[in-house]
Amino acid sequence: MRFLHTADWQIGMKAAALGDAGARVREERLAAGRRVVEAAKSHHVDFVLVAGDLFEDNAVDRVLVQKVVDILSSFGGPVFVIPGNHDPLVPGSVWEHPSWKSASNVHVLLEEAPVEVHGGVLYPCPVREKHSGLNPTAWIPSERDERIRIGMAHGTMENIRRDEPDYPIPRDAEKRAGLDFLALGHWHSYGTYSGPDGIIHMAYSGTHETTKFGERDSGNVLIVEILSPGAPPTITPARTGRLDWITVERDLREHGDLVRVREYIESLANPSNALVDVSLSGLLLADERGELDHIEHILSSRFLWVKLDASRLQPSPEDEAWITNLPPGIIRDAAMRLRDTSGASPEIAARALMELYAIVGEGPH
Amino acid sequence: MNIRSIRVADWRCFLDNVEIGPFEEGLNIIHAPNGTGKSTLFEALRRALLDGHKVTGKDVEAIRPWGRNLAPKVTVEFTHTGQEYRLTKQFLDDPSALLERKENGRFRRLAEGTSADEQAREILTKNPPGKGLSKTPNWGIAQVLWAPQGDLAIGPLTGDVVSDIRSMLSAQASSGGTGPVEKRIAERYLQFFSTKGKLKTGKEAPPLARLREELEEAIATRQKAYDLLIAFEEASRRVEELRARRTQARYNADETTKALRNARAVSDTYRKLVAERDQRSERVTGAEAQYGELKQRIDLVKSTEKDLAGAQERLAALESEVPLKDREVQEREKEAAKRKAELEDARKGREAVEAAAQMADAARRFNDCRRELRRIDKLIAKIEEADKTLTQRRQKRNAHVAPDTRVLKAVRKTIKDRDDAQLRTEASLITLEIVSHKDDSVEVVSGETTGSAQLKAGIPTQLRGSPEVVAEIPSVARLRASGPVGSAEEHREARVKAEKKLKELTEPFGTSNLDTLELLAEKGKELDASVGEAETKLQTLLAGRMLDEYVQERNVLEITYKSFLSTYLDWAEKTPDTDALLAEAENTKQAFIKHVENAEAAWDKAQSALRAVAGQKETLSRRLGDAKNQVAGLKEKLVELTSDGKSLQGREAELQRSTMAWEAARARLAEIQGQLGGYVDDPTVVVERLEAQLEAANQESSQTREQEVREEAKLEGLCAQGPYSALATAEERVAQLQHEVRREELRVEAIRLLYDTVSACRSEAIAAVSRPVEAVATRTLQRIAGRRLGRVEVGDSFEPSAVVPESIEQAVTLDNLSGGEQEQLYLATRLALAEVLGKEERQLVVLDDVLTATDTGRLARVMNVLEEAAQRLQILILTCHPERYRGLKRAAFFDLEALTASPISS
Repeated sequence: MRFLHTADWQIGMKAAALGDAGARVREERLAAGRRVVEAAKSHHVDFVLVAGDLFEDNAVDRVLVQKVVDILSSFGGPVFVIPGNHDPLVPGSVWEHPSWKSASNVHVLLEEAPVEVHGGVLYPCPVREKHSGLNPTAWIPSERDERIRIGMAHGTMENIRRDEPDYPIPRDAEKRAGLDFLALGHWHSYGTYSGPDGIIHMAYSGTHETTKFGERDSGNVLIVEILSPGAPPTITPARTGRLDWITVERDLREHGDLVRVREYIESLANPSNALVDVSLSGLLLADERGELDHIEHILSSRFLWVKLDASRLQPSPEDEAWITNLPPGIIRDAAMRLRDTSGASPEIAARALMELYAIVGEGPH
Repeated sequence: MNIRSIRVADWRCFLDNVEIGPFEEGLNIIHAPNGTGKSTLFEALRRALLDGHKVTGKDVEAIRPWGRNLAPKVTVEFTHTGQEYRLTKQFLDDPSALLERKENGRFRRLAEGTSADEQAREILTKNPPGKGLSKTPNWGIAQVLWAPQGDLAIGPLTGDVVSDIRSMLSAQASSGGTGPVEKRIAERYLQFFSTKGKLKTGKEAPPLARLREELEEAIATRQKAYDLLIAFEEASRRVEELRARRTQARYNADETTKALRNARAVSDTYRKLVAERDQRSERVTGAEAQYGELKQRIDLVKSTEKDLAGAQERLAALESEVPLKDREVQEREKEAAKRKAELEDARKGREAVEAAAQMADAARRFNDCRRELRRIDKLIAKIEEADKTLTQRRQKRNAHVAPDTRVLKAVRKTIKDRDDAQLRTEASLITLEIVSHKDDSVEVVSGETTGSAQLKAGIPTQLRGSPEVVAEIPSVARLRASGPVGSAEEHREARVKAEKKLKELTEPFGTSNLDTLELLAEKGKELDASVGEAETKLQTLLAGRMLDEYVQERNVLEITYKSFLSTYLDWAEKTPDTDALLAEAENTKQAFIKHVENAEAAWDKAQSALRAVAGQKETLSRRLGDAKNQVAGLKEKLVELTSDGKSLQGREAELQRSTMAWEAARARLAEIQGQLGGYVDDPTVVVERLEAQLEAANQESSQTREQEVREEAKLEGLCAQGPYSALATAEERVAQLQHEVRREELRVEAIRLLYDTVSACRSEAIAAVSRPVEAVATRTLQRIAGRRLGRVEVGDSFEPSAVVPESIEQAVTLDNLSGGEQEQLYLATRLALAEVLGKEERQLVVLDDVLTATDTGRLARVMNVLEEAAQRLQILILTCHPERYRGLKRAAFFDLEALTASPISS
């Protein structure tokens, strides 16, 4: 038995922090879905499991539902899907859309009932509400038979979170249920769980395309192969994500630091698919102010989305020469006041000082 | 600028050419009486330098000499920035203007006409009046430097003068070179903000305004999307609830249908059992009734027979009791009669009791009477004794003649008068004292005592008399002494009168000796006291009653006393013992009571016994009657019960049969009832209830389904709108716009902060430079008026606004100052401003007839200030009081009156 395990496509996901780039990121999630199907085909899997949260919300645009159905049906082989806590089986859910009925190879499993799959039996654990404290795998009968037994659930593995978990799944869930493999969804990072024998019987595939900054090991699907009942599963991650979510945090201390930041950013590959969050702190040298503008220009012109936070940069104390070189009078007084008393907003004061620096630098007309 | 000279012709009162000058660089005093043209001169100077030469109108027409059609002319020579100029203007007719500059020792033409006007004006102001007349706002720095007639006050400065002063001050306070930077900052600022500091709107609005509008719209869109999403979730929840309700209703209906089917089967069985029970129950009732009837008849016969036997037995017993009871009644009656007789005997002892009590009471009253009689006898005796004593003392007092206090007082006064008269008589006599050297005799011819008297050697002999004393010492001399006449006689008469009165007063007492009289009076008082004491004693004894009353009371008591003795003869010899008699009476009484009580008790007892026996006899009679009646009634009943002729055995056999039939019927009924008892509820009621429940469940199911369909349609509509996707897009748009707005705001706020900071720095710099003006004005004012007024404060437009006395450290407005102090304050401020403005060039200060309210003392100090100021300023003072300025040593004086009297040739 060989199958593809994926989950948490979160189609229609909003990315408010990204502003106008949010639409592109949403589009990328559909594109990644197509890559999932390609992976399934290229790995010649018998079927595909989608362990919940195919959609970000039940109220997503119905066009997206149709698109997803089209993508999944393009696989040709059986695709088994369960609702997750983002798209639970409730009235008005995405699962009521008529397109599911038209795709004969796509099976939305809405009941806790075993399903015959190629080479074995699948125990699905569909989700019917957004939050629950019940173990969704509890229903699976524990008696083994001669077939390969696999489960598919959406929930939180014990000890992942210390606060009250949604749909808690025991660490020995696969053992209790007598499963060869339990395909999990809900957490976006790839993660595996082995039993006392050291063999992995449970895994989170993670999301097929990274959803935010700081997400570890996401953007994959798992190709799982089980040769016979009781045989250890072989799990192979396959890359499907295309977006890079890059965080750049630098503390500038000396001359050249800012140049190095710029060089690093310039060196980033695939910028049109990269989202970059740059946060700078430390000292801003007067002669490197232009470099900052340069970085801003590179970021805004090349990358899919950028954020540059330079509010924690302080003008270098050695760079006050331009202020002391001003002729005594109102302008010098104003410059010193802006430097020394930032008022309500240090950011505004710093910007005002930079404006003044620029105006003074323009020289006489 | 400094003025060198001024020449005026055909100008108001100046018909001829009048030239004043050359003026000193320091102080110049132009003086003349009122109406001589001082202010006209000031006007000419002002018009020459500030008015366009072509000005027309009523104001300008007024400067023509009165009643003449002449064109006014003025020529002013002045120096400015080291150059000498001459400005000549003619107004109204053929107006002209010529500005000349001295070059190589002679004036050369510099500008004519309007150009000459403009160049001249630029010296004083940056805000020229155009072609027309100059008004105060156009005066430029002359607003500060030139004080019109009698008006030293500085109002809010107008026109360009404030900015002139500020620019001069700020130029002095900070070095130049930053002007272009400020200008560029202002340009940047004005790209975003209006001059009033508001963010620009309309066509010129910066991107920030547009972004804010877009953000507002995006937020509204986001809210709509959010509301839609919430509506979707709520609709989903409602549909879910309705489905659950419908499922539950369906389940309930199924359950109810099943229960109803079972209940109907049970109900059929139940109804059959109920019918059989009712049938069996009737049978049991019939058997029971028959058994009861038989049993009752048998029991009745048996009990009647038994009751009859008992009744006959009781009747016989009662009949045997009757004679016994009659005999007992008779005995009890006798006993009662005997006890009654004994009681009556006992009651007769009451008289003895009363007699004993009467005697005891009489003895008590007799003894009381006797004691009272004795007491009253003693009292009467004491009263009579006291009365007697009183009578004796009164007699003794009456027999004692003595003066009373008033008489004694009159006697004392009369004796005093007499003695005084004697003394005065003696004092009024003429005394002739003779001291003879040898024993001799003298013959008193006239005097108090006439006749011869002996003279002892060395011993004075006094001879008295009035009105003269005449004595003859034989063979020696006849001596005569005389004095005032008359007084001795008067005194003598007074003495006689006093003695006569004394005699009248003391005659009743037989002595006029005062001591004796006082002894008599003292004795009299003692007797009075004795009488009073006897009277008091008598009154005490009488106790407010008369003696006769006591005597009458005694007589009554004596009659009572004797009446007792007539009854009880032996009491005369031996008084009765009251206590003994009372005890005896009490004993008699107690014995009587006890005797009577015993007799009554015995009688009551006999009576009770009699009544009891009589009652028993009556009861016996009644019971006897009842027993007879009962026997008769029972006999009748028995006859009736046995009238059917059946025997008791026959009856009992019949009863046994009936009992068996009844018990069989009852056993079957109990069996059926046991079966019915197994039903907790009435199965027919259960069926009815279940039918109602089923109907309700079906109804609810169908209603819920209808509701569900409606909600599903609504949900479908909401689904189709994809509210989450709409919200995602809207939130991203809001975030994007917020980011852009923040970025723009940062840019705009930075420019605003820069502009505001520069403006603030400039204001502070200007404020800093206005302080020297305040300092100089304060110093000058304190030199004139002392420290009382404290510090001078100037306003934004450099006009003096207040003073801050050191004593209170609070600003005091100028209307609190006197007229003189205000005048001095304005002068000090004008001089301070002139000093600031004159830093680069000596300036002309004109004071036209000012300082009129300043007193002489302070004026002297003003002179010092003016002299000192004249080192840096040219000061022109127009006054009609030149004497007030004579103290100015370095001043040039110009007598305008003299000058007009000898005009120069044109």
